[in-house]
Amino acid sequence: MTKTITILSGKGGVGKSTLTASLAVLLSKNKELLAVDCDVDAPNLALVLGVKNFETIEGIKTSEKARVITKTCPACKKNIDVCIFGAISWDDKNKKPIINKFLCEGCGACKLVFPEGVIKLEKVQNAMVNTTKTKYGFPLISGHLKMGESGSGKVITKVKQKAEKLAKKEKKDIIIVDSSPGIGCPVIASIQGSDYVIAITEPTPSALNDLKRVLKVVEHFNIPYGLVINKWDINKPFTQKLEKFSDKNKIPILGKLPYDKAFVYSLVNLKPIIETAPKYEKIFQKIINSIKT
Amino acid sequence: MKIAITGGKGGTGKSTISTALAIELAKTKKVLLMDADTDCPNDHLILSIKRKKEKNIFQLIPKWNLNKCIKCGKCAEVCRENAILFVKEKYPAFIEDLCNGCSSCILSCPTKAISKSKQVIGTIYSGKKYNFDLLTAEMRIGYEEASPIVNALKKFSQKTEEKYDYILVDTAAGAHCNVISALLGCDLALAVTEPTPLGAADLDLILKLCEILKIPSLVILNRSDVGNKNLIKTIVKKYDTRIISEIPYKKEIIEAYSKGEPIKEESINQIIKELK
Repeated sequence: MTKTITILSGKGGVGKSTLTASLAVLLSKNKELLAVDCDVDAPNLALVLGVKNFETIEGIKTSEKARVITKTCPACKKNIDVCIFGAISWDDKNKKPIINKFLCEGCGACKLVFPEGVIKLEKVQNAMVNTTKTKYGFPLISGHLKMGESGSGKVITKVKQKAEKLAKKEKKDIIIVDSSPGIGCPVIASIQGSDYVIAITEPTPSALNDLKRVLKVVEHFNIPYGLVINKWDINKPFTQKLEKFSDKNKIPILGKLPYDKAFVYSLVNLKPIIETAPKYEKIFQKIINSIKT
Repeated sequence: MKIAITGGKGGTGKSTISTALAIELAKTKKVLLMDADTDCPNDHLILSIKRKKEKNIFQLIPKWNLNKCIKCGKCAEVCRENAILFVKEKYPAFIEDLCNGCSSCILSCPTKAISKSKQVIGTIYSGKKYNFDLLTAEMRIGYEEASPIVNALKKFSQKTEEKYDYILVDTAAGAHCNVISALLGCDLALAVTEPTPLGAADLDLILKLCEILKIPSLVILNRSDVGNKNLIKTIVKKYDTRIISEIPYKKEIIEAYSKGEPIKEESINQIIKELK
């Protein structure tokens, strides 16, 4: 059985990709691993793993957009308010509706109220699923949302389907998933079906606030989880507060990482931290050993 | 003037810079700061503002009158969010969290068995400090779509927008629908980044998005001395924009940030000079 571990944080920039990269490299030493980047808005895992080019790039269509196909429709004006996303306005010169493609969610409500032949829903290629083998031997699947397109949740679901298929084919032990910041549809799509969640945070009021919000989502799906505290030494009293919080809520702390410019240099050199600063390997190993699925 | 503070990558300093800018601008101008990171709003934490609840944000949801329902499954067929499950000869089952309120099900029902109801999807809060106004919106946990929350926040602020000289919109990380909603209608976008390959890659994305949305952009380089500045310079050149301010890595900034306090920093004035 393949186990899926998802890394998330709520707040952005607290170290998801750094953690994912080092865990992936370390885990792959004695397990069959597949890494997946589900931060489709701004995918970075490939960079951190030193991937320059992908072997395969596949365009996917998970989104639809409405398009006006009629030249004129004076009777349509009364219906433009049907769009709750505010994507339809009125072209008074040509007497027809106009659709703002950045606001259109492709729900199709307009097609239901406008007369036949006014609106067409078209599938849009809104994302790419890229696959490659990393220099560490394990494969990486990375989703990329096209700029200005919507539907990241559905793109992630597709990316994960592809990952599961590959994992089955190549008999993988572990899928490690890097997710996006926030708590909305991309994060929900990322954690669905996970066996374990690692939440990474840092000792700041913002990060704790965001952590609490994202953990409620994880609890909603009833997935076991543990905590990693990054930059624990930038505010030691606050780290104690985090430890109290996890103690009170019975959340295991899997590991603590210090603030060290070595982490920035590892990013600048596009290498996982355990490669540029091997002394940290034991902290990541402890994190792995503490995961209970 | 409406200015978005964005950046693509998370944790580059959007909220830190938004709050510091608001404090500085408010010394001479009328300022509204809008926290449009509705997944995880943090500006009120940095400013230590106890927020006042303004209103709940509602979204339309369908409600079935089962006496009229003929179990045809039409509603489930038109729902592109898969929020309605239909099994033959059974009544449709509805998953609230997946519904985006588009009303297609209501429009498609042949027996008018579905009517409009509503659910709370988030809350708008307000606050005041340092002589400026703060508006924030927070998404209900478990709900998926952030852009309706951002749009509700924008609609709420519209009534009072005219009285401000500057409206600052602090966006979420990333570049998808909630960021797009926050950026639309802004006169300028300030992209906050850091000189790492990740910062550069995500800056590339957000500047491209600004270009697509036809919003002029300028770049703020945070932690400017930790990493490789040339990475950012290359991207900035590609989009024909420029770096207007560089904020060095300083222990005092890290400390203020980790305590959740606004920063005081000379480079913030440089940004303001550019805005005037």
